[in-house]
This record gives sequence, structure tokens and C-alpha cells, in this order.
Amino acid sequence: MIYGKIWCVVKPSTGIPLFLAAVAIGSFAVHVALLTNTTWVKKYLNGNTAVAAQTMPMAPAEAPK
Amino acid sequence: MSDPDKVWPTGLTEGEAEEVHRNLIQGTQIFGMIAALAHLLAYIYSPWLK
Repeated sequence: MIYGKIWCVVKPSTGIPLFLAAVAIGSFAVHVALLTNTTWVKKYLNGNTAVAAQTMPMAPAEAPK
Repeated sequence: MSDPDKVWPTGLTEGEAEEVHRNLIQGTQIFGMIAALAHLLAYIYSPWLK
């Protein structure tokens, strides 16, 4: 397999965590950027709370006892 | 790179290095397929790119 011999000169115990960390950090950064630069991810994560807060009538105040 | 039994500085032979690499590539492919599916679902069910 092409480039397979890299593990003859790079220790797998160094190279594999480095590779996985690069993938994890890269994809995390992209998703954080999406969360901070769009409105709809936040809205989606909030679920129906935003809609419910708008449409639900105010709860009546508790009657005095 | 001619002797297949030579132990390289990482302690691996060429065959072992190839084996590590095969597994890494396979893991990457499976991860990629799951990620592609997740992105397809996100594209269908979210306002992403619309």
C-alpha cells in the first residue's frame, strides 16, 4: 500500500495519535465555526423551546392561599 | 528497503509497517463513510447550504 513504509520511520505510537488528533481538532473547529457563524444550528439544538416560548400563553399567576 | 526482515528504527519491519497502515486506512475509510452519511442527513434535514 502506498506510503505504508512511513511506519518504518515514524513510530505508530506517535503518528497515529497525531493523525487522529488532527482529524478530531479539525472537524471540531469546523463545527464550532458553524455554531458561531450560523443561527440555525443553535436553533436546532434548542429544539422547540424557542417556538414554545413564543406560542405558549403566559401561565396564570398562582392564586393566593 | 530491500530486506523485508530488517527492523527499522521504530521497531517494525516493512511488513508490519504495511499492516499498521492497512488498518489505519481501513479505519479512515469507515470513519469517512459514516461522516459522509451524517453530512448527507444534515444536508437533507437542515438548512445547511440552502
